Amino acid sequence: MLEKRLLEDLLSIAVSTGADFAEVFSEKTRNGSIRLLDSVIESIGDNVVSGVGIRAFLGTKTVYASTSDMSKESLVRCAGSVAAAIGDKNIKGSVKLTEKIFPNIHPVSVVPSSADMKLKCELLKEACGAAREYDSRIVQAMGMLLSVDHTIQIANTEGLLTSDRHIRTRMAVNATAADGSEMQSGSFAPGRGMGLETFELFPPREIGLTAARQAITNLTAMPCPAGKMTVAIENGFGGVIFHEACGHSLEATSVGTGTSQMCGKLGQKIAGDKVTAVDDGTIPGAWGSVNIDDEGNPTKRNVLIENGVLKSYMVDRLGSRRLGLPMTGNSRRQDYTFEPTSRMTNTFIDNGPDKNEDIIASIDYGLYAKSMGGGSVNPLTGAFNFAVSEGYIVRNGKICEAVRGASLIGTGAEILMNIDMVGQNLATGQGMCGSSSGSVPTDVGQPLIRVSEITVGGSK
Amino acid sequence: MNFELLKEAIIKRAAELGVTDYEIYYESSSKSSAETLGHEISALNSSEAGGICFRCSVDGKMGYASTQLMEITEAEELVERALENGRYTEKDDNVGIFEGSPEYVRPNVNEFKALSPEELKSVALSVQKATYGADRRVVDGTQSQVESISETVRIVNSHGLDLSNSVGINVVFAEAVVEDGGEHQNDYIIKEYGKMSDCELAKTVVEGALSKIGADSVTTGKYNIVFDAVQMRTILGVFTGAFSAKTAQAGMSRLAGKEGEKIAADFVNITDDPMRDGTPMQAYFDAEGVAAFRKDVVRDGVLVTLLHNRETASKAGCVTTGNASKVSYSSPIDVKPHTFCIEAGDYSEDELLKLADHGIYINEVKGLHAGANPVTGDFSIESAGFLIENGIKTVPVKSFTVAGNFFELLRDISALSDKVDIGFSGIGAPAVLVKNMSVAGK
Repeated sequence: MLEKRLLEDLLSIAVSTGADFAEVFSEKTRNGSIRLLDSVIESIGDNVVSGVGIRAFLGTKTVYASTSDMSKESLVRCAGSVAAAIGDKNIKGSVKLTEKIFPNIHPVSVVPSSADMKLKCELLKEACGAAREYDSRIVQAMGMLLSVDHTIQIANTEGLLTSDRHIRTRMAVNATAADGSEMQSGSFAPGRGMGLETFELFPPREIGLTAARQAITNLTAMPCPAGKMTVAIENGFGGVIFHEACGHSLEATSVGTGTSQMCGKLGQKIAGDKVTAVDDGTIPGAWGSVNIDDEGNPTKRNVLIENGVLKSYMVDRLGSRRLGLPMTGNSRRQDYTFEPTSRMTNTFIDNGPDKNEDIIASIDYGLYAKSMGGGSVNPLTGAFNFAVSEGYIVRNGKICEAVRGASLIGTGAEILMNIDMVGQNLATGQGMCGSSSGSVPTDVGQPLIRVSEITVGGSK
Repeated sequence: MNFELLKEAIIKRAAELGVTDYEIYYESSSKSSAETLGHEISALNSSEAGGICFRCSVDGKMGYASTQLMEITEAEELVERALENGRYTEKDDNVGIFEGSPEYVRPNVNEFKALSPEELKSVALSVQKATYGADRRVVDGTQSQVESISETVRIVNSHGLDLSNSVGINVVFAEAVVEDGGEHQNDYIIKEYGKMSDCELAKTVVEGALSKIGADSVTTGKYNIVFDAVQMRTILGVFTGAFSAKTAQAGMSRLAGKEGEKIAADFVNITDDPMRDGTPMQAYFDAEGVAAFRKDVVRDGVLVTLLHNRETASKAGCVTTGNASKVSYSSPIDVKPHTFCIEAGDYSEDELLKLADHGIYINEVKGLHAGANPVTGDFSIESAGFLIENGIKTVPVKSFTVAGNFFELLRDISALSDKVDIGFSGIGAPAVLVKNMSVAGK
């Protein structure tokens, strides 16, 4: 990490031409990846990401420069380039930093980067082995064990100097099932903001079996019928519906530039009465949790929607200036090469009043989306799409045959109002969310919910 | 710390540890951009980043380690980490580090000239002004961005190979937000700088956004579909993995073992050309240092070859097609096309519409990372475009999905347009007509 004196000098340079705020972000990250294919360890990746990003503000104008060259000359040059681009005044001044360390609420037991490599390889083999043993029609089980050991340091002209270390661990198994010329796949990729103790919560064998079970289910599933129907979306990764249909539109990134369907809607009813949604970066050990965001603010629990009424956006420093709202600890970036912006952390629809069995029983004909893939959204119009990776037809209140190839599309505004039943089995699923500040880990989540009507894209 | 000093430190440490078969892969990039919001520059960004990957043969396996930390001690540790990682790797490596191709042909392109910070700002403001000026319905939220990107890849190995390739591109991005009758719509365009005037860019993107106003969904059913060239190359991009011999050998491609068989309509040709005219990101060697060359992948609907690196070729008993790739400097060797293109056909886009007669013209597909399965070929993707009635585009439509299977689609293509569009990712296609596809709407 950089010396305090150097950080003070860099900040002084960055504001020397008239900027009203500057920040230095320094990072050293060790990324580990073990890949298994054809039942053998295929490759082991081991990468150190290291660099610095310097940002200056003048009102809502920003300048950002980054470099992987950590030499003092390079960093001074970087700060100088920021100063030259943001203003043309000549202001002499100094910055005094005071170190502030926030409590670590995400303790780690077994740090992956220093754990025994043999042990890590065995965890992956156990998962992929279980997938292959599940059914003779599983022809491939590809596995990845990923770990991130991320140390950041943030200093700014308000005098803040802070740092944090964050560790994440994830295993992904993708199983391929084949029968004659038919081929289908299934996957499961749980992770936590924890060390190898993640696999006490998710035994590797279960990860492999879940992926294999989904592949075999899809192998025998019929193409999904298309059209508008009632859909029950299961908990866990099903929460991607909220992430896409609403979450992105609540980020100051789009609200602050006037490109969100949610602009000006604070205090308004935007969802069904049973919908309360939260973004919470403080959940211990959760995939999207961090002690501090990438601007050095502690993360928070932010209630976004309460009983259907919009209560809060997710706001970073620039968004705060644009919107005149307080920061919410949501500023995030993939790494030092990205300027941070407002992003989700762990975002979920909270438990509601309905019993899960009542939700299924209420559907005469519709789709039960047991497992979801990813999706995308246009925050301006709210138009979203996401894929169903394991689905079943519901007939007369009973879950019936499996169907494949379904996707759900709609707009955030209509879908939120159409959530008319919310169950009680809140769980989360892990994803990597891509946006303007790169790819960041986010949890999505919800209990089982019912959407009264949504367009199902199928191939039948 | 410059690369030459690090390289020497790595070579010295490798010699000390008795490593004789190794490669140093260095990638550096430089990016700078200017963004506008309203009528002003809102952000200026720049980045300089470099990373090194060291890989070496360890008892018949390949060990990798990589870093961005450009320090001598780190360089030395890199060799030790790669050795350690190699010891736990189980997959046999039968090919080792490459000795070099007999001949390398450098691409015939002009040296890249990055836009200066002043030029970046001036172009961004000019595009923004043109976009606002294109129609009175253009509103705030409209954004422009201009970016200069350059990259250098250098491969140095223990067989004396020392190759370097630098490429660059200036890119203009414009997003128009329009409002009409209380409805907001947007559209965006990304083009290489200099390929379209500011006014043309602005007109295209604003017309694109305005054309979506008043769009409704379509009735669920079967439709003749014309995918415009951008959407077709976007769909092709999701499924290029199926043409990789590595994917095929892992049992995860439906094209495995199909060389010599018909996989597409008779008139479909797909090529892979690392030095295709008019593409800025050309490469004359692949990620193992093998000389890259043009090849037919599909000729008259028949699969000629899958794409190979040295390892997959060794397994298949053929020669590499020069398609070794790395996602980034730190990634293991994989397989990827260079500029992979469904070649143009005989019809103008208007003629495709006439051939379709009634159906849907699709000029927007979204969420392919979720709605398409690269292994099975199944897709169900959110789309937007225009109805085709009596052979011409009529009313705008949105909020529907088009579903099918990519491998069936290749066989079902009825006609190709006479103009291809190649994206920055190196995937290209013309517009295509596919009859009788499943559409889900209202």
